[in-house]
Amino acid sequence: MLYLSQAIGRPVRDKLGESIGKVADLIVAVGDSYPPVTGLVVNNNGREIFLPWQAVATLDAGGATLGNTAIDIGRFRQRPDEIRLKRDLMDKQIVDIDGRKVVRVNDLRLDEVEGALHLVAVDVGAGGVLRRLGIEGPWRTIARGLHRDVPERYIDWEDVDPVERSIASVKLRVPHKGLAELHPADLATIIDQLTRSDRVGVIASLDDEAAADAIGEMEPETQVEVMEDLEPERAADILEEMDPDEAADLVADLSDESRVEILGLMEKDEADEVQELMTYDEETAGGIMTTEFVAVPATLTAAQTIDRLRELEPDAETIYYVYVTDPEERLVGVLSLRDLIVSKPEVVIATFMFDEPVAVGTDASQEEVTEVVARYNLLAVPVVDSEGRLEGIVTVDDAMDTLLPQPSKRRLPRLFNRDAGAAEK
Amino acid sequence: MNKRAFAVTPRAAARVRFAAILGVLGPGLVSGFADNDAGGITTYSVAGVKYGYELLWVLLATQIVLFFTQEVGARLGLATGQGLTGLVRERFGVRWVTFLTITMLIANVGSIVAEFAGTAAALSLFGVENHAVSAALAAGVVILLLTRGNFSKVQYLFVAVGIGVSLAYLASALLAKPDWGLAASSLVIPRGSFSAAYWLAVVATVGTTITPWGQAFIQSYCADKRLGPEDLVGERVDVGLGALLTNLIAAFIVVACASGLAAHGVHINTNDPNAISQIAKALAPLAGQGATMLFAVGLLAASFLGLGVVPLTSAYAACEAFGWETGVDWRWREAPAFYGLLVFFIVFAALFVLIPGLPLVEVMFMAQVINALLLPFVLVFVMLLASDEKLMGPLVSGRVLKTIGWTGTGLLVALSLTLAWSSFFASA
Repeated sequence: MLYLSQAIGRPVRDKLGESIGKVADLIVAVGDSYPPVTGLVVNNNGREIFLPWQAVATLDAGGATLGNTAIDIGRFRQRPDEIRLKRDLMDKQIVDIDGRKVVRVNDLRLDEVEGALHLVAVDVGAGGVLRRLGIEGPWRTIARGLHRDVPERYIDWEDVDPVERSIASVKLRVPHKGLAELHPADLATIIDQLTRSDRVGVIASLDDEAAADAIGEMEPETQVEVMEDLEPERAADILEEMDPDEAADLVADLSDESRVEILGLMEKDEADEVQELMTYDEETAGGIMTTEFVAVPATLTAAQTIDRLRELEPDAETIYYVYVTDPEERLVGVLSLRDLIVSKPEVVIATFMFDEPVAVGTDASQEEVTEVVARYNLLAVPVVDSEGRLEGIVTVDDAMDTLLPQPSKRRLPRLFNRDAGAAEK
Repeated sequence: MNKRAFAVTPRAAARVRFAAILGVLGPGLVSGFADNDAGGITTYSVAGVKYGYELLWVLLATQIVLFFTQEVGARLGLATGQGLTGLVRERFGVRWVTFLTITMLIANVGSIVAEFAGTAAALSLFGVENHAVSAALAAGVVILLLTRGNFSKVQYLFVAVGIGVSLAYLASALLAKPDWGLAASSLVIPRGSFSAAYWLAVVATVGTTITPWGQAFIQSYCADKRLGPEDLVGERVDVGLGALLTNLIAAFIVVACASGLAAHGVHINTNDPNAISQIAKALAPLAGQGATMLFAVGLLAASFLGLGVVPLTSAYAACEAFGWETGVDWRWREAPAFYGLLVFFIVFAALFVLIPGLPLVEVMFMAQVINALLLPFVLVFVMLLASDEKLMGPLVSGRVLKTIGWTGTGLLVALSLTLAWSSFFASA
């Protein structure tokens, strides 16, 4: 076991004990779960020499010894998937995926695994700080005398995600597998703790869908910042993945300039949908509805309708109701998933659909929508225009949002809460 | 270098106008008003009573340096989105950030003690001589602001009171018929005895205006408000207005004390328990018998403003250095260091003001001296970071700003050395 801080600054000697310089840094190849050390950076009177790990015979708290006398300088180059531990990781912020928060690197722990030195853990505890201040020994003695523990905290490298921008290029090659596996709400919390440039880096490493989910969970003001910091093409791709109602709310908050640019880069259908949703007042059914729903003609059979559902793969929140429309897109009936499944496959849906569906107008207030959803115990309520045409649906979760006090939770996460900041936007 | 970031897009232009109009909301102004905390009002008053108009030149010089130190702090926040200690940690490592954090903590504890002393002094003017009451009140204010607080709103209340008090000082200064010619010339011509006590007052005046916590505050505030490089122009306006207003108020206080008290032969001894009621009389030309009450209200508001800003800023800076959880939405067990520091500040400051017979004015005054002496250490880091092109990108200090920044830092070091030198010879 070796800590990076114990090796840095120690002498490097060749096979005969001749001094070559001091340990300046270690290079590891990222990508594996525990990155192997692939090189040693030696400080030779201010000049940096890169040595491949094969040339190093031993490395410990006393320094490094080389296996050869003749060293081959300059043959070694840092490859794109390699990072320098001291320069790129030490003292930087990392995401502790397991603890779902951002922490600072106090030290790095290396261990011999299968005969090779690997980076295994990040020291984020007090021990790391004390070690680097050179007072770990005395402190521990005092602590022992007082029957106190020095709090130790390590994060397994597998649970780490580096977010520092200097290795942003590396991150693209090493997918943030860990981050993508987090729940979007956790991911949003982590991204909220990062600086602007780091946030863009993390989002850049996520796929569009994961990014859309995470952004959907953020506070509106953070959403706007993230969107405006992203490349417009990328922002457009992410918006396409978001629920149209969420996307519309977000787009409405963007600056005029960004809005035009990003909408222009979205696929036409999606952009039209978002723009249409934006025309509704945010406080009305039109403003909170989504345009993602399943509508079929009354002439289909139950089996055909289920096939259609398989084809469309609707989201969880919209699959429970199938709306039935006439050729003018007017809402004429509704079927629940249950109705479809329990009926005989060859029966035409017009015969068993509920033909007096409850619906609200696009200009109905949020309170009316909530009331309808609650009174009829609906999972979603259809929204129709003045002609009775089906425009969208409001799902129960969006309808219930109005019942929660705003803001939904007490937040004062940073130096000061960002009311003042939001007011300026 | 990416020059595009400076191109004023319509959006940036709109923001600049907005920031200029709503400047009151800006970090620079809040920081500027917070400079006129209990220690500020007391120190300016002492300076005015003791030295008349002689120290006005210090205010002008301090105002210029304050603008540039706040500007560079804001720029660091805008460019990096990180606080000061976080950047020092990344750039200079654990040892340096430990040094910086300890330096700032000492200065900040001094400031917090000054706010507690200010609360006690204000209450003593209301006739409450028991410092346990004032300590409990001050501690209560900190806890209330932290737990219930919507600080972003409360701060404007304090700012409003601050403005009210400054207007009172302005009116008092006018009514006391100051020697305007002398005051104006004193702004640019340093006069006085240049004794050790004189230099001590100079250092305290500088120290109450440009502070280590103010440096951490402006940067964290800019970073946490998520302002970006496009807000540079607006931030400069904001910081400039903040520095100007701070020092205008300071100048009113000095002139009111100089013309209302010093010119009438009033002497003050900061060790005297009655010093605070002497200072309060500077408002007599306006408020007559009510001067003491008016001053007490203003001092109380100033103390609370400092209590709302300094402990929080200090705890944040320390926690950011070591990557500890910060913020009051964590539970106690999740952020022990953050809450631990706040408890330490409160308990230490409360116990300090409970020392029997504590000369409150002297405590507030000396806290500013400590701040000034420690300030150069903080500024060296700030200037080094702001010159780092890799870190700052297009917002890096150019040659002019770099020269000004280092000159200001150098002057502060020279000032500390002057004080040390003059004290040595005075005592020798």
